[in-house]
Amino acid sequence: MRIKESVKQGLTYLSVTLALILLLPGTAYAQQNYSNPAQVNKGIDQISQKSGGLIQVRKLAVSPGGTDILLMEIGKKGDVPNPAVLVVGNLSGISPVTTEAALSLAERIASDPKLCSEISWYVIPMGNPDAYSRYFTAPLYMDPGNFSPYNDDMDDRTDEDGFNDLDGNGIITSMRVKSPDGIWVPVASEPRLMRRADASKGEKGIYKIYTEGIDDDGDGQYNEDGAGGTDVNANFPHLFKYFDPKSGLFPGSATEARELIKYAFDHPEIAMAFSFGQTNFLLVPPKGGRKGSVDFDNITIPEEVGKAMGIDVSRTYTMQEIMEFVQPMLPPGMTIDEGMIASYLGLGAVVNPMQEDLVFYNRISSEYKDYLKSKGVTVERFDPEDAKEGSFEMWAYYHLGVPVFSMDIWALNKPEAEKKESSGITLEAIERMTKDEFAGLGEEKVSAFLKERGAPPQYTAKMVIGLINSGQATPAQMASMMKQMPAPPSDEQKGDPRELAQIAFSDARMEGKGFVNWMPYDHPTLGEVEIGGFAPFSGNTPPYNMVDSLLDLHLPFVFELVKKLPKLQIADAKAIEKGSGVYQIEVWIENKGYLPFPTAMGKRNKIPAPAVITLEGSGIEFLSGIKRTPLHDLAGNKSLKLTWLVKAGRKGTLTISLMSKQAGSDSKQINIGG
Amino acid sequence: MKKIFISLMLSLAITIISDLYAQEIKVPLRFDHYYTYEQVVEALKVLNKAYPSLTTLEEVGRSEENRIIYALTINNPKTGDPLSKPGIYADGNIHGNEIQAGEVCLYLANRLLTNYGKLDDITQVVDRNVFYIIPVVNVDGRVHFFNDANTPSTNRGLRIPVDDDRDGLFDEDPPDDLDGDGNITSMRKRDPHGRLKTDPEEPRLMIPVKPGDQGEWINLGQEGFDNDGDGLVNEDAEGYVDGNRNWGYNWAPPYVQNGSGLYPFSGTGIRAIAEWMLKRPNIIMVFAFHNSGGMYLRGPSVKAAGELPAGDIAVYDHLGKNIEKIVPGYKYLISWKDLYATYGDFTDFTNNLIGSYSFVGELYQVGTETFDGTFIEQTDRSLVMAGGSNERERERLKFNDHLAQGELFKEWTPFKHPEYGDIEIGGWVKISTRLPHPFMLQDLVHRNASTVIYTAQNTPDVSLEIYEVTRLEGGLYRIRVRLHNRNAMPSVTYMTVKNKLYPLDIVTVKGSGAKVVSGGKLVSQYPEKIEYKEFKPEVQFCQVPGSGKVEFQFLISGKGSLEVNYESKKAGKRRSEVILK
Repeated sequence: MRIKESVKQGLTYLSVTLALILLLPGTAYAQQNYSNPAQVNKGIDQISQKSGGLIQVRKLAVSPGGTDILLMEIGKKGDVPNPAVLVVGNLSGISPVTTEAALSLAERIASDPKLCSEISWYVIPMGNPDAYSRYFTAPLYMDPGNFSPYNDDMDDRTDEDGFNDLDGNGIITSMRVKSPDGIWVPVASEPRLMRRADASKGEKGIYKIYTEGIDDDGDGQYNEDGAGGTDVNANFPHLFKYFDPKSGLFPGSATEARELIKYAFDHPEIAMAFSFGQTNFLLVPPKGGRKGSVDFDNITIPEEVGKAMGIDVSRTYTMQEIMEFVQPMLPPGMTIDEGMIASYLGLGAVVNPMQEDLVFYNRISSEYKDYLKSKGVTVERFDPEDAKEGSFEMWAYYHLGVPVFSMDIWALNKPEAEKKESSGITLEAIERMTKDEFAGLGEEKVSAFLKERGAPPQYTAKMVIGLINSGQATPAQMASMMKQMPAPPSDEQKGDPRELAQIAFSDARMEGKGFVNWMPYDHPTLGEVEIGGFAPFSGNTPPYNMVDSLLDLHLPFVFELVKKLPKLQIADAKAIEKGSGVYQIEVWIENKGYLPFPTAMGKRNKIPAPAVITLEGSGIEFLSGIKRTPLHDLAGNKSLKLTWLVKAGRKGTLTISLMSKQAGSDSKQINIGG
Repeated sequence: MKKIFISLMLSLAITIISDLYAQEIKVPLRFDHYYTYEQVVEALKVLNKAYPSLTTLEEVGRSEENRIIYALTINNPKTGDPLSKPGIYADGNIHGNEIQAGEVCLYLANRLLTNYGKLDDITQVVDRNVFYIIPVVNVDGRVHFFNDANTPSTNRGLRIPVDDDRDGLFDEDPPDDLDGDGNITSMRKRDPHGRLKTDPEEPRLMIPVKPGDQGEWINLGQEGFDNDGDGLVNEDAEGYVDGNRNWGYNWAPPYVQNGSGLYPFSGTGIRAIAEWMLKRPNIIMVFAFHNSGGMYLRGPSVKAAGELPAGDIAVYDHLGKNIEKIVPGYKYLISWKDLYATYGDFTDFTNNLIGSYSFVGELYQVGTETFDGTFIEQTDRSLVMAGGSNERERERLKFNDHLAQGELFKEWTPFKHPEYGDIEIGGWVKISTRLPHPFMLQDLVHRNASTVIYTAQNTPDVSLEIYEVTRLEGGLYRIRVRLHNRNAMPSVTYMTVKNKLYPLDIVTVKGSGAKVVSGGKLVSQYPEKIEYKEFKPEVQFCQVPGSGKVEFQFLISGKGSLEVNYESKKAGKRRSEVILK
């Protein structure tokens, strides 16, 4: 259900054939069936052409490498746009499946006009084409940077020392070298994998690990200054990391990010943001725990300001108290607001998700988990990444002030938890046992005990019991022998669980192509090395034949999500006669959606525009209240009553209109007068 | 009949021509008036025309209302390309009402160009540096400040509509010039229940009533009426986006700091200037002129950033101390500490992302409006914030009367307000309070342009010398290279080194018949200690400190000519050669 299957298949067969003919390295590893940037843009055009006018394609930006970043606007056009959802795919450019997900989402929406009749969708499938194009380039390696040059190592040249495919297999892996100051050792249970030696357990490191390549610029460092670039998903303004090689010089310095930011603010009807990327806010809601968020109930006034304002700095104040204190100091006509105080006192930005917002994040997360269970997903997967500083996900929540959700589509499953039944036997207990007591333990318990002790596999329970029974060894002797054996492996020494899962997946589902076995190589400066390690993308990109089922599983939940968008309506309106042509107008506004209008963060940052309720009627005079009343916030599934007092000259109708770009419009007429 | 007609035409022509002459902008420029935006552009054009080889005039970018932001570059091409010299950048008027900053920049250009070749100091400072001057950053603001009615403080922001009062409408309720006098002043109304009464010492002022007193006036605030009928007056004027909060370093959104714009560099002109400056990484000294208060501020802009590196503070202290003497009464201060925290401001951007030293010059001290036999009053800043005591106001009004012949204060005049009925309108006029009366402008522009010229004399001046060549055994040569900087500013700011903003200065040694066997920096002279570079000894990196030196030692094998090159983003390029025999 994606790009015209026959066209794609044709292209695929052609490219595979060509690859074989040209003996292109990399065909064995990069899965050719994911759409490359040109195919993505072609696919976007095709989906839009088939949509019967529902989709309009725009060029959002051009990457430094010269590729168009296209945006699909799906839904009705008109004077008053519908509330909209902004969907971005693959902003870090390193996850092909996320681009496929965004494309597929667009296709699904276009094929069911009901999905875009009341909300619009603004979809950008390929947010970082430069980085994404690396998936289709040899030698293959993962790098989120776009193609703007950057002098990573701050020397006399730029982009002069990238990776080198020394073993010619078309992918960049690792090199391990035996070195006196090496810190890595192989994992005992899976020696293809490496782990850090644990000096506290008396281990000495063996290997140093480098990325595959040579020291192109002779400065003693390897592959430290490759081509590019700025990670688009690190170039957004919230918690931007200055002077980091990958974040860009300043927020919005990358045109891919800047145009996206500009587009978002130019479209205040955007009520929700969705990212297909490395995070998954549906599984793991956004995390807090950062230092720096100011509590508006406990504000400390800086000394310098306290002196100037004549205020006691030894205690804290609430925002309200400070506002009341400052208001009389201002020239008449000027009203104080929180923003002014916050900026004058240098209070800083919010850096942790608001508590009230976490309520809906947690609730939606359990719903999502239930949904997965109902679809037969029972195995637990490894956690997604946390949102990183300077990312789109963070900026959309903290700066745009809308609910943000995300999916990473695929991750490795966690291994089945080992039955951790304790044998209950200790070495001390064995020392004191008689041979009968030992035999009485039973094979199962002894087997568990031997496993716990990390005994070599040839020491089966049967063999050990046999030794004791035959008198060849006493339990005490056995115990002292076991004391001499190396201690059982700690969890760290067993190797990284994710890597173990990854290599197992490679063996089972990728014909071993996810991992290159260590092979010797004669390196020009490092001498005898071995080249090997995980193939790029083998940890985050599923085999292409899995994509369809993954998207069929996860994408429908996106449509469940948008059902929760806030929706403001006029629930009721009436005019109560007070006599002498004076009427009390009562209007009940309701938020029929689950999500609040706006989020708590949107309330705090004041970016989402208020809804405006307008009263219109000829001959109406306002006694109390005004014609245009802003409504700044309304929680989900809640109602609010607004009242006015008007004088009606004569009989007529009063039109009550509700207008909110993000949460919808409504209108009601009531009779008045006469 | 014909005679009368001809003489009429003649007198008309003379009137027109003399009017034209009165407005004509020519070199040398005059500083007894404020320049409109159009006159600023004309001034730049006449300077460029009069000094074609020394100047370049270019369009940096456009404002929201599509006006051109101009930059004048002053460089002597005979002493090298602009990018090969330390750059001094000066701009002004990022806040639309802070107009005298434009005159300071024009004066700087005028002073340098009209005295080039006449005064040695000027000739030298122009030959050794390049000057980048953008007299008006907020071109829309300047135009609207001149053309619209304003207070001395309004029309500060960029022309980006913002719904300041969050009622769904944008910029719908600005101040209104009810009496059409070109100023936005104050309104008051007679009211026996009012909290104010006429100041017995000065009838143009009001004082709060004490318990038991009879009230006289209510202060109705800024001139205007409720344009959008929401019960608030003048609550949503242009913007509010403050051009000096919209820069991309340490930017914070509007709820943290009012007026920052929706995202960094959302202002078209601001972004254009940033990109223009980033293409000129040789800029080492930046001045941003504002009003008012009489200060030269250095960063950091927020306390959380921590103090600047000691090496940079030393440079600032040296410059600041002397600036206080060039403009007596102005104080050299720290931005966040002595003023207030600012996020996303211009000088934080230039210090951190261009790698320069930067001063914000707050021009003009209203305390010079005295009437007590002194030249300057000592104003307490907290009073300025809280609205001023009447003591100063009374004195200023005497200044207004006797030095400005009433030009600065609009007398209270009755007016019929559409909603409030009989009121009075009066107060300080637009060209006052933050702006010197033109008779004081000449002094202001000369002194403040002189601070820029003074710092330009302190930009790094690096010389390269191969000061020792010794032949060693085995065909090896030992050469020693010295980079010496005679001026106070280092060739790279310490902040740039700390941030790793860009690579340090590069020293390269090469010769067609020679190979650099080893090389390193002399980190200590007595006793002698050399820090050798393990890889690529023929390429060395350094910062040449202010009034200091850096020395290198190289061991070379081979013979023939050997070339040593020094390349610095700010301090230019130097070259020296030696023959190894």
